[in-house]
Amino acid sequence: MSHAPLASACAAVLRRDLTLAWRRRGDIVMPVLYALIVITLFPFALGPEDALLQRIAGGIVLVTMLLAMLLALDAMFRSDIEDGSLEQLMLSPQPLAMMLSMKILAHWITTALPLIVIAPLLAGMLHLPTAVMPVLVYALLLSTPLLSLLGAVLVALTAGTRRSGMLLALMLLPLCVPVVIFAAGAVAAAQQGLPWLAPIAWLGAALVMALVLAPLACATALRIALDA
Amino acid sequence: MANWIPLWVHKLSSPPNFYRFAGVVRPWALGLALILGAIALYGGLVLAPADYQQGDAYRIIFIHVPSAWMGLFIYGLMAVASFISLVWRIKLAEVVAMESAPIGAAFTFITLVTGSLWGKPMWGTWWTWDARLTSELVLLFLYLGVIGLYHSFEDRRQGARAAAFLAIIGIINVPIVHFSVNWWNTLHQGSTVRILGPSHISTDMLWPLLTMMVATKFYYIASLFGRVRTDLLSMESGKDWVRQIAGAHGSADAVSAGRAEAAEREARR
Amino acid sequence: MSAFFAMGGYAIYVWPAYAVFFIVLIADYINPSLRRRRNLRELRSRMARQAARQQRNPSAP
Repeated sequence: MSHAPLASACAAVLRRDLTLAWRRRGDIVMPVLYALIVITLFPFALGPEDALLQRIAGGIVLVTMLLAMLLALDAMFRSDIEDGSLEQLMLSPQPLAMMLSMKILAHWITTALPLIVIAPLLAGMLHLPTAVMPVLVYALLLSTPLLSLLGAVLVALTAGTRRSGMLLALMLLPLCVPVVIFAAGAVAAAQQGLPWLAPIAWLGAALVMALVLAPLACATALRIALDA
Repeated sequence: MANWIPLWVHKLSSPPNFYRFAGVVRPWALGLALILGAIALYGGLVLAPADYQQGDAYRIIFIHVPSAWMGLFIYGLMAVASFISLVWRIKLAEVVAMESAPIGAAFTFITLVTGSLWGKPMWGTWWTWDARLTSELVLLFLYLGVIGLYHSFEDRRQGARAAAFLAIIGIINVPIVHFSVNWWNTLHQGSTVRILGPSHISTDMLWPLLTMMVATKFYYIASLFGRVRTDLLSMESGKDWVRQIAGAHGSADAVSAGRAEAAEREARR
Repeated sequence: MSAFFAMGGYAIYVWPAYAVFFIVLIADYINPSLRRRRNLRELRSRMARQAARQQRNPSAP
């Protein structure tokens, strides 16, 4: 019996997940809509004063992105557990960690990428200076995959439980504190005219580490959570 | 199981043996904790002089610092027990890890409350986003996550294994959080108030503090063993040794009440 | 003695801190023993029910 080569297996998983996501296009729009609603509410709560909004824009946009991603995180493996395809994946000869990293990539493309695309618009609504925009996008490009990877490990841990929404947020909070600090720190530093490369570099280092470790941890977590 | 682990560890880690062992150790640990705690409180509240800067408010230190230290210590111990339970699948290690979590959370909670009660007269505010306070808050969330995950599974052993994995992720996370929170504080020029001067604390204040630290260790042993005993009983409720204990503890009226209840149910059928 | 309880004017901070310490720890200590008593009671009534059933028809398992 010959196995499919790893590359084509990865491509197949990725293609399948993206196709499934495309068939349910409405779900992709949800986090974007959520972020838009939250950002729209802030000026009503704080008053339309430009200087104040400008000062807090970076932080608000980042936290909103985080919450929007949390909204979609719950569903990362749910349908695959329900229809049993995740168990098929666990039994397949290809390394589970690689397959899972493809699933995480697909999840990132369908939830985080649209959010990053509209992030400059949202930040613009809060009067974030145009010069800071690129830093915000860099920070998001590095921090959202990090959140997807960390979130995937936790989602895998809660795979065997029935209700997990609030629990997931509780578990993710300690893990995402450093991510939020460095991402928002980079934006704040850029806004104050300080060097912002250091926090971005820390985020990058963390992302590289998570890229290697998180799929392995995710595979271990799934095995723990699903074997009775 | 690896050969190098001595035989008595094997024997002790079997639930009935540990149940008996814990039952013997627990009163002694509690007694020592109470005696040492009383000595420490007398030394701290009565004998130690008032601080020249903070007056008597500093006396919160005798519970605040030992609690903070216990919060971290118990987390470390929980992570070690979690690691053992995942690698060797020892039931006792699972129980120790999962029953440590509520005690650690209790100590962390005490740390936060006493810290805020201390901060009010010293800083003029209940809460400030200081690096240490923030790290402590994150630690509490780590504990709550572990406890929540453990209880969200129907099967308790599976829940214990999942939560053990989370505890290990958490212990990797603790230094990262500490580092990032420190960095964040320097970026935002936060209030870097230091309650304690850099370790020139006088011996009059030091010995009650250290005694209290030892007392809280003994308290932890006593509380943990009580919790582990309870858990072992309910996890092994089908086994013979538990039935014997239940029978021995049961007073005659409890058994007859159960019998009457059963008879009534039979009669109703 | 009253000076001791006054804590140099900081009594409203010091004593609640100690109260929290003791209340939380006592609650933490008592909780498992209550749980243990409840579990044992349930186990005993289960055992009694089993015994009663066995008495009624000894052939059943």
